[in-house]
Amino acid sequence: MLRRPLLLLLFLTGCSKGPEADLEYISSARSLAAEWALVNEQASEGHLTSAYVKTMRQSVREQLKTNAKSLTQPQSDYGSEIAAVLREPDDADPAALRAHASKLKQIEDHLESA
Amino acid sequence: MNPLELTLGIMTAVGGFVDISQLVFSGQAGSMFGYSLIWAFGISTIGIMVYGEMCGRVAAVAHQPLFSLMRHRLGLKLGLVTLIASFLSTLVTTAAEIGGLGMILNHLTGASYLLMCVVSTLVLMASMWILPFKWIERTYGLLGLFMIVFIVALVVIHPPWSKIASGFVPSVPHGLSAKQLFNYSYFVVAIFSAVMFPYEAFFYSSGGIEEQWGPKDLLTNRVTSIVGMGLGSLLSIAILALAALLFAPANVAPQIPGSVALQTAIPLGKLGLVMALLGMLFAVAGAAVETCMANAYSVSQFFGWEWGRHKKPWEAPRFTIAWIIVMLLALAIVMTGVEVMSLVGYAVVFSIVILPLSYLPLMLLANDKNYMRGYANKWLAKILGWLFFVIVTIAAIAAIPLYVLTAGGQG
Amino acid sequence: MRRDAPIKMVSQLLDLPLIDRDGRWCGVVDDVELDGTPGRAMRIKALLVGPGAYEGRLPGCAFWLVRKVAGDRIARVPWDRVKNVASAVHLECRAEEVKLHRTEDEARRWIPKWGAM
Repeated sequence: MLRRPLLLLLFLTGCSKGPEADLEYISSARSLAAEWALVNEQASEGHLTSAYVKTMRQSVREQLKTNAKSLTQPQSDYGSEIAAVLREPDDADPAALRAHASKLKQIEDHLESA
Repeated sequence: MNPLELTLGIMTAVGGFVDISQLVFSGQAGSMFGYSLIWAFGISTIGIMVYGEMCGRVAAVAHQPLFSLMRHRLGLKLGLVTLIASFLSTLVTTAAEIGGLGMILNHLTGASYLLMCVVSTLVLMASMWILPFKWIERTYGLLGLFMIVFIVALVVIHPPWSKIASGFVPSVPHGLSAKQLFNYSYFVVAIFSAVMFPYEAFFYSSGGIEEQWGPKDLLTNRVTSIVGMGLGSLLSIAILALAALLFAPANVAPQIPGSVALQTAIPLGKLGLVMALLGMLFAVAGAAVETCMANAYSVSQFFGWEWGRHKKPWEAPRFTIAWIIVMLLALAIVMTGVEVMSLVGYAVVFSIVILPLSYLPLMLLANDKNYMRGYANKWLAKILGWLFFVIVTIAAIAAIPLYVLTAGGQG
Repeated sequence: MRRDAPIKMVSQLLDLPLIDRDGRWCGVVDDVELDGTPGRAMRIKALLVGPGAYEGRLPGCAFWLVRKVAGDRIARVPWDRVKNVASAVHLECRAEEVKLHRTEDEARRWIPKWGAM
C-alpha cells in the first residue's frame, strides 16, 4: 500500500539532484554569457551608454554567481564552465564569452536529449 | 465623440499597454521560439479588448465599478475570497513593476538598484497624490509612447514580414522535445496572463467611473479598447520579433529585463538605447500606478468606502490610505531582495489562476439587462466573452503545473 | 426600484453599495433587518452596515479575524431613509444622519489637506 507513494518519493528525490536539476541554471548561465558578449560587442561599437554597460555587467555577474551557488553538482563540467565565465574580466572579448555560451549550449542540448 | 479626447485616449492605451511582464515574456518568447508565439499575443489581445470594452460599458451604463457589482453577484464569502486572491496577486505584480523600475533606473543612471526602487516608489506616490486621475493616466500613458522605438528598430532591420505574419496563425513549432513543448505551453499561458491581467479590468472599469462615462461615451470606450489595445500589442509583438532576429542567433534568452533595450541599441545606437529605456521606464511606471490603484479600488469598492482620484486625497481618506499601504507593501517585497524575474513569474502565475474568478462576474453583469438595459451584451460579445472565459479557465488550471514542470519557463 | 416596490428576495439588496444624498459612498448593505410575524407579510425594517453584520454570513474563525481587525460595529439605516434601489442603494439623507461615515471621518484626520491638484 505504501509502495507507490514511496517509489514516487524516491523518484522525486532522485530528480532533485544532478544534471537534470541543474538544467535551468545551465540554460540561464548560457544566456547570461551570451548577453554579456552582446553588451561588450555593442559597447565596443559605441552603441551603449557607460552606465548601461557597467550595470549590465554587474547584473550578469550577480546572476551568474547565483546560478553557480544553486548548482547541485558544482564540480561537474558545466560547473567548471560557469566558474570559467565568472573568471573573465568585465571587458572580456565577446568571442571568448560566446565560446563559453556555445559550450554551455552543447551541454544543455546533450542533457535535454538524454 | 471629441476627436482630441479620443486620440489622447488611444495613445494613452498604446503607451500604457506594456508592463514588465510583457517585456520579459516577449523577449524570452521570441528568442526561444522565434515567431511562433505571436498568435498568443494576438489572441490574448482580442480577449482583453473584449473584456476591456465590457468593463467600460458596465461602468458607463450601470455607473458602478466592477468590484462593487462583483460583491453583489458573488456574495460576501466568495467575494472576500476573490478580493483576497486578487489583492495578493496584484500586490505581487506591483512589486514586480517597482523592481522593474529600479532596474531600469539603475541602467539609465548607474545608481544603486535598491535606492532607485525607493526613489521611484516615492516619485510614484507623489504623482498619485498631486495629480488628478486623468493626468496620472495621460502622463504615464503618453510618455510610454517612447516604446515606439522598438517598432522603429524592427522596421530598420528589414525583418522577414511574411514570417512575422505567419506567426499570427496558431501553430506549434515542429520537432520540439517533450520538455520544450511544456516550455512552449507555459509561455502561451504566461502571455495570456501578462496581456489579460485582472487588474486591467478593475482599473479600466474604475477609470470609466472616475471620468464619469455615460452611455454617450460607449463609442469612445469601444474605439479606445479595440484600437488602443490593438496598437499597444504591436509593441509587444515588435519586441518578440526583434528577439527572434537578434537574440535567438546569439543564444540569448534574456535573463535580465534590461537586456531588452539591446534590441534598439543594435540598429539605432545610443539614442535607440536611451529611448527604449525611457519607454520601458514610463510604461512600467504606469503599470505600477495602475496595479496599485486597482488594489485600492478593489478594497474600497468591496467595503463601500469613498474612492477615486477624481476626489482629493482627503475626500477619500481610506482609499488614499489603501493605495499608500499597497505601494509600501510592494516596496517592502522588493527590499527583501527577491529577484525581479522571480516576481514576474509569480505575478503571472497568480494572476492567471484568479482570472476566471475576475471575468465571470463581468460576463454575468454585462449580460444582465437589469443593470445594462439596452446595452447588455449582444451575440458577438456573448460568444467571444464565453469563449475567452473557457480559454482562461483552461490556462488557469494548467498554470501552476506548467510553472513547476518548467521551472518558470527556464527548464 | 422605489423603496415601496415589492422586493422579491433579500438578495436583491445584500452587498449593494450605499450612496447618500450627496453622492458619497458610505458602506455596503451587509445584512437586512426584517419586521413581521409568522403568517403576516414581512417588511424590511432597516439595512445593517458594518463588520458586526458579517456574523452569520462568515464562518466562525473568519468572523473572529474580522472582529479583531475591524471591530464589530453595526450601523442601522432605517428603510424609510432609502430613496431607491438600483445598482446601489440611494439614500435620501446624508451619511452622518444615519451614523455612517464615522470611520471615514476618523481616517480623514490622518490625511494632510495639501498638495493635490
